[in-house]
Amino acid sequence: MRLQSKLTLFSAISKIVVVLLLIALLPPLIHRVAIVNTDKRLNEKKDSVLEIISNQGIENFIAEGSEGAYGSYNLLKEEFISIEQIPEPIAVDTVENSLRKVENEIVEYRVLSLTFEVDNKYYLLEIGRSIDTIQESINTMQQYALYFLAAVILITVFIDLAFNKILLQPLIVIVRRLKKIGHPSTFTHKTINTTTSDFLYLNNAINDMMGQIQDAFQKEKEFIGNVSHELLTPISILQTRMENLLTDPEMPEHLLVKLVDNQKTLHRLKNIIQALLLISRIENEQYLKNEEVSLTVLANEVAEEIADRAEAKEIKLHVNLEDNWTLPQANYSLLFTMLFNVVSNAIKYNKPNGSITISGAPKGKGYELCVSDTGVGIAQENLPHIFNRFKRLQGPDNESHGLGLPIVQTVARFHKIKITVDSTIDVGTTFCFRFNGHN
Amino acid sequence: MHVLVVEDEAGLAAELMHFLKQEHYKCDWACNGEDASERIAVNRYDFILLDLGLPDYDGLDLLQEARETDYEPAVIILTARGELEDRVKGLGLGADDYLAKPFSLLELQARMQAVSRRKFNVKSSVHEFHGFELDSTARTVSYNGQNISLTKKEFDLLHYMLLHKNRIMTRLQLTEHIWGNILEDDYDSNYIDVHIKNLRKKLSAHAPTDWIETVRGVGYRLTL
Repeated sequence: MRLQSKLTLFSAISKIVVVLLLIALLPPLIHRVAIVNTDKRLNEKKDSVLEIISNQGIENFIAEGSEGAYGSYNLLKEEFISIEQIPEPIAVDTVENSLRKVENEIVEYRVLSLTFEVDNKYYLLEIGRSIDTIQESINTMQQYALYFLAAVILITVFIDLAFNKILLQPLIVIVRRLKKIGHPSTFTHKTINTTTSDFLYLNNAINDMMGQIQDAFQKEKEFIGNVSHELLTPISILQTRMENLLTDPEMPEHLLVKLVDNQKTLHRLKNIIQALLLISRIENEQYLKNEEVSLTVLANEVAEEIADRAEAKEIKLHVNLEDNWTLPQANYSLLFTMLFNVVSNAIKYNKPNGSITISGAPKGKGYELCVSDTGVGIAQENLPHIFNRFKRLQGPDNESHGLGLPIVQTVARFHKIKITVDSTIDVGTTFCFRFNGHN
Repeated sequence: MHVLVVEDEAGLAAELMHFLKQEHYKCDWACNGEDASERIAVNRYDFILLDLGLPDYDGLDLLQEARETDYEPAVIILTARGELEDRVKGLGLGADDYLAKPFSLLELQARMQAVSRRKFNVKSSVHEFHGFELDSTARTVSYNGQNISLTKKEFDLLHYMLLHKNRIMTRLQLTEHIWGNILEDDYDSNYIDVHIKNLRKKLSAHAPTDWIETVRGVGYRLTL
């Protein structure tokens, strides 16, 4: 997941958590606020009533000498005020919820009760406000609070998104550049336009490192060129000198045999250097992939080239490729070398009257080309090492220099081909090349 | 045939000259680009064997100069550089062939013969030997007009040995000619013995093949 998506997701989730928390806490909070407000209002009313009484006398409410009480409700029974005379002086000053019967209807009120004394008479004042009314205002308040919250969250999420995008733009540019690099040589040094020091540092670090890698590749390229020239030139001289000696009529026959041995040793040295150079050159991308290669043509040409060897060892060679799979961008001679080496091994390590099958078929989204032999097989514990350079699984008497399979692997990597090897001792070995992509 | 060897390595040049003189070529040697440039301008060469890696001169410039002469020599590029760009450019500029160092002298001679046949329009490509006929253009071998069926490798082998008749050829030299363009783990020169055995079998059905001589511990020789 990209950093920008992660940041946006995280900020959205954190906001949702805050909202949920608020939704859970909001009702009791608003309820509390509403009650406190109501109590405040009741107290204000109490003060007004007491002021009226002290200014105008209690007679305004209760006539002198009467045992009666005063009571007033508004039409919807939302509020009431009552004053009644009480015989005993009980000190009461409370605000609490209580049920009252008003015109045959039980209504719950928030009631303020207060006793006071006027002319040695005691009165109880009660001011009430219906709980339903309070609840209504609570609901209204809750609704508006929720709208407000939703709006705030939406706005902040969008601001976060936009800000993240602007902030992370340099990172996106860097990632895009890195994605485009197929090989270090295709990288170009670029500055990045940002004030964020971390991104500047990252970009500079990448530029520096890629620069170093490019230098290393360049040096390796020069080294390869030098090695080719400096090592192969003396070998050339030796080779031509030996060939001239071979044709010298004065050369005694017993020395001729020694000369042939020298020629073989020199040939081996030449082969090792050329194999190493080939591997290095491929890894250094000094080969082009600009040919269209048909796997059917490739397999058949390898088979034709090697048919005589198979025949010499009385090994049957079958080629059976389904469909004509074509690689759009490849290097034919490298692929030829790759397949030739594998088939050549299949002959070398086969048994008399054995067989080799080069088969191919579309598999999944790609194509699989397999070379199966009925040879001596490779021990399971040796399988992971067969592509190691100079690893010789056969005895030391063999002329092999152990670079055939490393070449195969390097060519495969160069073409992004996946190799799998399956082998059973005394039954045979199967090399499979997996080509991805479309036909 | 007049050959100019452009090669800065004296040792290699000496061996090349020794071999070419033996093969009755007339040879000159230029050890640097300037010398070569002068010789190309003054003399008329049939062949230029050109090493691209010269200390003072870009070998490709020399190739260009050779192209611009009025006598148009055949040019075979010899290089150890083996760099792809040079290879492509070399052939694009009109070199007649290309040999990567190290190369076999026999291979060089075979290439020179092929180039000169192409270049100097030699029509006849038929070799006759002990009643057999090998047509290198049609790639056929026959005896008294009777076609003998050979595999590709058997034909190549016989043709190569004919080009170098009366000369000892080691199994390695023959192997290199037949498989040399492919870099593989090791070579098995026993395959050559199998090919020779098959060749002898196919040819001796028509006439004796004692002219294919085995040189013990060394290789083979065609005595014609």
